[in-house]
Amino acid sequence: MPFYQTWEEFARAAEKLYLTDPMKVRVVLKYRHCDGNLCMKVTDDAVCLQYKTDQAQDVKKIEKFHGQLMRLMVSKESRSVSMETD
Amino acid sequence: MVLLENDSFLTELTRLFQRCRTTGSVYITLKKYDGRTKPVPRKGNAETFDPVDNKCLLRATDGKKMISTVVSSKEVIKFQMAYSNLLRAHMDGLKKKDKKSKTKKTKATQ
Repeated sequence: MPFYQTWEEFARAAEKLYLTDPMKVRVVLKYRHCDGNLCMKVTDDAVCLQYKTDQAQDVKKIEKFHGQLMRLMVSKESRSVSMETD
Repeated sequence: MVLLENDSFLTELTRLFQRCRTTGSVYITLKKYDGRTKPVPRKGNAETFDPVDNKCLLRATDGKKMISTVVSSKEVIKFQMAYSNLLRAHMDGLKKKDKKSKTKKTKATQ
């Protein structure tokens, strides 16, 4: 269950995992206001990728990535998220 | 588990965040959904079922109460905007970036 140190690595690995099997992958977000931290997990029940942060600047990245994954899930074409931003 | 409409889900999610401000966590789960309403049978014939490709399931809980909603491609744009604003507004308890540049400036002037 590796905790990634950099956001870029986590985002790339998470997106790759999702594209291998969209139906199996789930994304979990855990927010604790009292402790002031946010944890994001992407897993297909075999591989588990996690990213933890207590920085406000990461909230925007996490929330944006969450939205991109949501749009990927509802879109019919298998389009990569990174391709969209490039 | 309560299945709600997108708007009710957003309202309930706001309440969930407000309730958990002093203690506890908010868990949000996002998963692709193919529209099935019946569980997959263990054996025997598989149900004749046409999977749809344009839906996702969003769940939220504080450990006690759970709410969920289904978002489809038609609603995703509107929902995602409201949802992003909601997350950004409530996840504000994290540390702000250290203003290292300011301290460097003051040191340089000394």
